[in-house]
Amino acid sequence: MGAATMAEPLPATHCRDPSCAVESLAAAPAGQPRDAAALSTMLELRGLRFSWPGAAAPTLAIDELTLAAGRTVFLHGPSGCGKSTLLGLLAGVLLPSSGQVALLGRSWAGLRASRRDAFRADHVGYIFQQFNLLPYLSVLDNVRLPCRFSRRRAQRATARGEEGGAERLLERVGLPASLWARPAAQLSVGQQQRVAAARALIGAPELVIADEPTSALDADRRDAFMDLLLGECAAAGSTLIFVSHDQRLAARFSQQLSLPAINRAAVAAGAA
Amino acid sequence: MKPLLALAARSAWHRRGTLALVSLSIALATLLLLSLERLRQDVRTSFVQSVSGTDLIVGARASPVQLMLYAVFRIGGATSNLRMDSLRAVASHRAVAWMVPLSLGDSHRGYPVLGTTPEYFERFRYGQAKPLVLAQGQRFAGTLDGLYEAVIGAEVAAGLGYGLGQRIVLSHGGGGLPGAEHADKPFSVVGVLARTGTPVDRTVHVSLQAIEAIHLDWVGGAPMPGLRIAPEQARKFDLEPKQVTAALIGLKSRVAVFAVQRHVNSFEGEPLMAVLPGVALDELWQLVGLGERALLAMSVLVAVVSLAGLVATVLAGLGERRRELAVLRAVGAGPRHVLALLALEGTLVTLLGALLGAAAAALAVVAAAPWVQATLGITLGGGAPTAVQWALWAAVVAAGILASLVPGWRAYRLSLADGLSPRS
Amino acid sequence: MRAWLTALALMAALVLSSALPAAAQTGGVVRPPVVPSTAPSTPPSPAAKPGAPRTITWEDLTPRDWDPMKDLRGLDFGILQDSDPRAQAMLRRLREVWDNAPTNPRMDGQLVRLPGFVVPLEEGKDGLLEFLLVPYFGACIHTPPPPANQIVHVLPRSAAKFRSMETVWVSGTMRTVRTDSLMGVASYRLEATTVEAYTEKPR
Repeated sequence: MGAATMAEPLPATHCRDPSCAVESLAAAPAGQPRDAAALSTMLELRGLRFSWPGAAAPTLAIDELTLAAGRTVFLHGPSGCGKSTLLGLLAGVLLPSSGQVALLGRSWAGLRASRRDAFRADHVGYIFQQFNLLPYLSVLDNVRLPCRFSRRRAQRATARGEEGGAERLLERVGLPASLWARPAAQLSVGQQQRVAAARALIGAPELVIADEPTSALDADRRDAFMDLLLGECAAAGSTLIFVSHDQRLAARFSQQLSLPAINRAAVAAGAA
Repeated sequence: MKPLLALAARSAWHRRGTLALVSLSIALATLLLLSLERLRQDVRTSFVQSVSGTDLIVGARASPVQLMLYAVFRIGGATSNLRMDSLRAVASHRAVAWMVPLSLGDSHRGYPVLGTTPEYFERFRYGQAKPLVLAQGQRFAGTLDGLYEAVIGAEVAAGLGYGLGQRIVLSHGGGGLPGAEHADKPFSVVGVLARTGTPVDRTVHVSLQAIEAIHLDWVGGAPMPGLRIAPEQARKFDLEPKQVTAALIGLKSRVAVFAVQRHVNSFEGEPLMAVLPGVALDELWQLVGLGERALLAMSVLVAVVSLAGLVATVLAGLGERRRELAVLRAVGAGPRHVLALLALEGTLVTLLGALLGAAAAALAVVAAAPWVQATLGITLGGGAPTAVQWALWAAVVAAGILASLVPGWRAYRLSLADGLSPRS
Repeated sequence: MRAWLTALALMAALVLSSALPAAAQTGGVVRPPVVPSTAPSTPPSPAAKPGAPRTITWEDLTPRDWDPMKDLRGLDFGILQDSDPRAQAMLRRLREVWDNAPTNPRMDGQLVRLPGFVVPLEEGKDGLLEFLLVPYFGACIHTPPPPANQIVHVLPRSAAKFRSMETVWVSGTMRTVRTDSLMGVASYRLEATTVEAYTEKPR
């Protein structure tokens, strides 16, 4: 997982092979990547400014940020510095006040709302700190939830050779089969987080965003979860953005970002 | 759409505790609307079927609706009687084909007694010109030999368990008190009529002469003290009726109805009134229509209240579902999916309630039919749901769909605002 | 998705708007509408196409040569009081003449279309099976009833859902029928193919 350049060949078994990537981009009617280098760029932020409505000062001001495909990124910062806001922008749920956020070469703002939701369903997996699952669905149904909204991920879940990728994923996150049919509300917090990881990874989305997923877990479970998450992302070839305030986890990631450092608004606020 | 439907169903089932109550209240509203409509329809049909082939009904001058009610439906009483000779005079009009006098006032164990001529059984029609048919026995003779003979309707026979040869005693007026009975002159049942589904089933028919006979030694509303006329003795008296309550008239040509009606109305010997049954019925429905509309308005109000309950319940639950909505956003649902999900939940609850209510209405009508038949002589319930019932049911469901859009819209706004970080 | 929702909401609104009037019609109020014109100046209009009913007026049901006032000419009604027995006698004579008003023999067998007010005679579950058609409102209650040749006994082919004193167009074959009376008077009977609510303009 070194710096990805145009010359570096991508593994053949990887779903990240060029034809696959080109296919996903060619499907877009507009916003074609301008050059081949962009194929390995997962996320690109330019001139981003974001203010919450009614706020006096902007919450986020990031001039430039590029994240390469296949990397694991540890995004840290103190509470309240705007990490969740940035995640919302990266996932296309929030739109910047100015500037652009582009995922896989497509700018979120350039898409209609319904297309944004579809694009998110196709390419992004998300893990919350807690309450990740719908309590009225079973574990299996929760894992398969993204497939209800994205035909692409549903196809990829079955195309990977397993009969319904959900069972296989649940095995790999270590959830006993006896629990698979249970309603999600009956699981412990640790088990729920593992199911959340499986759900985020089903159909191998290109980007996985985890918003402090271990903050609610105790130390033992935390390490196990980290191993699990990193291993699965590597296997799926997904880029992982991991947000936390816990510096001890930083070492396991290939890239570390400090939000207050790159956020000009925080610098300005600090200076004020 | 289908995945959302499954999600909505699961979600609603998850909250089935409170939603069941909402569904129940919608079911109640539907039950009210549908069964009231059925009742209204069946009562109207029953009334309409109760008389046929009669061109005019003659009575003392009063309210036409009242005349219809007591002469045909045996509900209420006449304000005054008419003299038999006046009746014969007006019936002598050349356009009159037949005339059947009716004498009401007595009863037998709650069932009204009708004094009339044997011609009644020929001339009276109901439904669509259906004649009266005897299930057992024969008509009363109407002569002095068979003076104390009675023909009873199907409901009287079934309700009291009477058969041919049964001895019965008539009561004066509405009956009830032991002193009000014509106990000294018992009658014998000689005929039982087949079921008609009209007030005929609840009636005990005797001859006019018999009515005269039992009232020979009565004055006012009570037996004359000291005077007792034995049943056999009564035959020696002049038993031709002097007064009757009303009469049915049939004409040779229906076009002459206005001329004869005017002839009766302007009769100089006595204040008389002739009404066209169809016209009087329509007047009755105009009066009743007010009550019907009030009932409908109340039922609609109940439906509105129950749907408001649905909206309130789902809205109240939205607060704690914000994380759930954020999860949905994260997996690729848009705010419009969230709206659809909430709206579908409400729709499913409404649909369930409406179906339950419709089933309950059908059952209620079936259950109440025997009692209504016995007490009021009205036939309830036969047949498929009417067009109006379908329309009412569809209106409830449609209103439910619209009402569900309210929490749906609220969820839409919440989801838009919250994104992936709900503030709850 | 959005379109689906819009369609659903529209459908719901449509169903609601059509269902409520139907349900509210349960206790229909009879409002006296405008009396259809019986002006003598309008001649019967020719049929639009052969085989179609000819729209006629109530005037056409009266033979041209019938004059009800024939016997009563020469009397000055103005000088008589209402309660004067001579006035009563005259009224009675007039009414007798009206009751025996002759039919127009040319109407027999004609395919006609006539507007009028409904007086129900026989009602079934689905509507009226027999009714009388009269030229003016309240013909059975207040005003003196119409003459015999201004009353039509209508037998609709299928039950007609109308109430007392509603205005309708009736189309069908008119017949003059001998009534069974000493005076040998005939009356009109119409076997109606259609009975429809009255609107201002005839078809």
